[in-house]
Amino acid sequence: MWAYVVRRCLMGVVLILAMTLVTFTLFFATPIDAARYACGKNCSEEQRDITRAALGYDKPVVEQWAGFIKGLFAGRDFPLDEAQREAAPEQVTHCAAPCLGFSNFNAKTINEMVSEALPVTISLSVVALVLWLIGGVLFGILAAMRQGSFLDRGIVGATLVIYAFPSFAIAVFLLNYVAIKWGVFPYPKYTQIADGGVVEWFGNLLLPALTLALLFLAGYVRMTRAFVLESLTEDYIRTANAKGLQRKKVVFKHALRAALTPLVTMAGLDFATLLGGAIITERVFNYPGLGLLTIQANAAFDLPVLVAVVLIAGSFVILANIVVDVLYAYIDPRVRVG
Amino acid sequence: MSLSMARLEAETPEPGDVPVEKSAAIVGKSPTQIALGRLRKDKTAVVCIAVLVVVIALAVLAPVITSILDIHERREPGSLNAAEWTDQFGYPVTGPPYYGFDPNHPLGISPKEANDNLARLLYGVRNSLFIGAVVAFSALLIGTTIGLAAGFSRGWLDRILSFVIDLFLAFPFFFFAMALSPIIGNAFSQNDVGLAVASFIGLIIFLIIFSWMSLARLVRGQVISLREREFILAAEVIGVPMRRVLFKELLPNLVAPLVVWFSVAVPTAVALEVALTLLGLGVSGTPTLGLLVQEARGYWDTYPLYLWTPVGAVVVITLALNLLGDSVRDAFDPKTRR
Repeated sequence: MWAYVVRRCLMGVVLILAMTLVTFTLFFATPIDAARYACGKNCSEEQRDITRAALGYDKPVVEQWAGFIKGLFAGRDFPLDEAQREAAPEQVTHCAAPCLGFSNFNAKTINEMVSEALPVTISLSVVALVLWLIGGVLFGILAAMRQGSFLDRGIVGATLVIYAFPSFAIAVFLLNYVAIKWGVFPYPKYTQIADGGVVEWFGNLLLPALTLALLFLAGYVRMTRAFVLESLTEDYIRTANAKGLQRKKVVFKHALRAALTPLVTMAGLDFATLLGGAIITERVFNYPGLGLLTIQANAAFDLPVLVAVVLIAGSFVILANIVVDVLYAYIDPRVRVG
Repeated sequence: MSLSMARLEAETPEPGDVPVEKSAAIVGKSPTQIALGRLRKDKTAVVCIAVLVVVIALAVLAPVITSILDIHERREPGSLNAAEWTDQFGYPVTGPPYYGFDPNHPLGISPKEANDNLARLLYGVRNSLFIGAVVAFSALLIGTTIGLAAGFSRGWLDRILSFVIDLFLAFPFFFFAMALSPIIGNAFSQNDVGLAVASFIGLIIFLIIFSWMSLARLVRGQVISLREREFILAAEVIGVPMRRVLFKELLPNLVAPLVVWFSVAVPTAVALEVALTLLGLGVSGTPTLGLLVQEARGYWDTYPLYLWTPVGAVVVITLALNLLGDSVRDAFDPKTRR
């Protein structure tokens, strides 16, 4: 078991390294001049060369990549050029490990920018996860208990219709019609728990989280329904029914139990994808999370930020895959490890 | 979509499960014939197919329909210019949103540019379906090839291919798109026609690169379980060449999962195009459903028809294809006997 965990983790590290290498090659091996964008629009040749040296763009790609990896484990000092550091020691920015790089555009380390954006994205993802799990399991059980009825078809059909909408359309509907035009909810604006308390934090997150939750709802309703229906035909359910257990108890305590493992697995993977940033939702609701950070970096050609965000989002997915696989092997003895 | 893939893996018919009648009175049916027979009796499937046939016909005949109705996707050079069709705020002077129905322009004309909305919608559906079909088909070829190669070869080739699949799966799709778009945009920033073509082709290639992995995994898993079965061993023992084993023995057993995967891959590609174009990363200049939604996104209040018609088209296409995918899966599944 432990050998398996260690092997999966090592494989994950190799995957992350390969991912950064591919991203680096694509960025800095193409004919575009990264220093020109880092330096800004009104930038003389001379300043451009200074920026190039400060960010290490004058070095070969592999060397840049090695420097980036070194920064991840040991931290780095910007500007990277030693002569520049000695010339102006007061302008040196230390970027502690794990150093993701330096955004010349914002004159900040990327770690700083990410640590501002990440709590927003995490809050959004957590609330969305809670909403879609509760909604998915409840509606799924409801549909399974009334299998074939009007209610069953209604629930499954409605969630499928919602699933067919682009996330942008749902976000626009919730923000512009529900919040602004009809005023059902106050205009959502991100507030930290420290500033406004849990209630305000949650209230403000409700609409954007609902947007994300609605997208995942269809899958979870159908999965819960399928697994509950499948386990309702098992012998232990007949036993539970035969000994006179209440129907509610049979469904929630016995039938749902079997459906939980695959549900949690799926939820873990979907949650990891969301942690990478829900770009469209964050954009429509203007929430300053990782997604919005990426959009701004994209608009400003801020390449180091884009590299860092690809790395972060990819790492979440890789990590979640490892955790889910290991947990699965641990929970379900039928899964053969090896 | 990962959900349907997971279900698919669990419920794919085993090749030996379909009873073959040898009696003279009863004609034996192949699994595909049985599935088609079931599809014909499935009301949902029939409705979906009917809707899709209409949509596809509209898409294919878009040039004919627009010339019969005398509407144009772009105004012809000789005709009235945009300023004569719109007021000082850019809103059309005929048809919705402020004037009654205009028979010359059934869905009104677009603000500012004053193009006919129906013509643009038809071309949008046409281009989006083209993208969906090309992407799904190319990914089908790549995924099947890599999946077959990985599953059939034991040892190092399998390991390398599995690593490549994992690597592609780990890349965060939207972030990577955002990271790449400055590079592609930079290369074509000088000329508009080049950018329109390049962005269209670039988008298709990008979608293909990121949609074959789930299928490759699926096929690999199937092949690994199939290659130990007696009929493959028998073929190998009597010296059937490898190519024949692959294409004559293995591939026919994979028809069901491939068909189901394809029917889900098309709407996924259509939806991804919409999402990417909304983020400003997709096409520019060629009307697709994504571009129509993107251009109309500011008009949710003043000109709702302009926004919700392309959104509606996306919903109809996605919903019909997803429901059809469900029906196809049920029809191919030997466990559901009706």
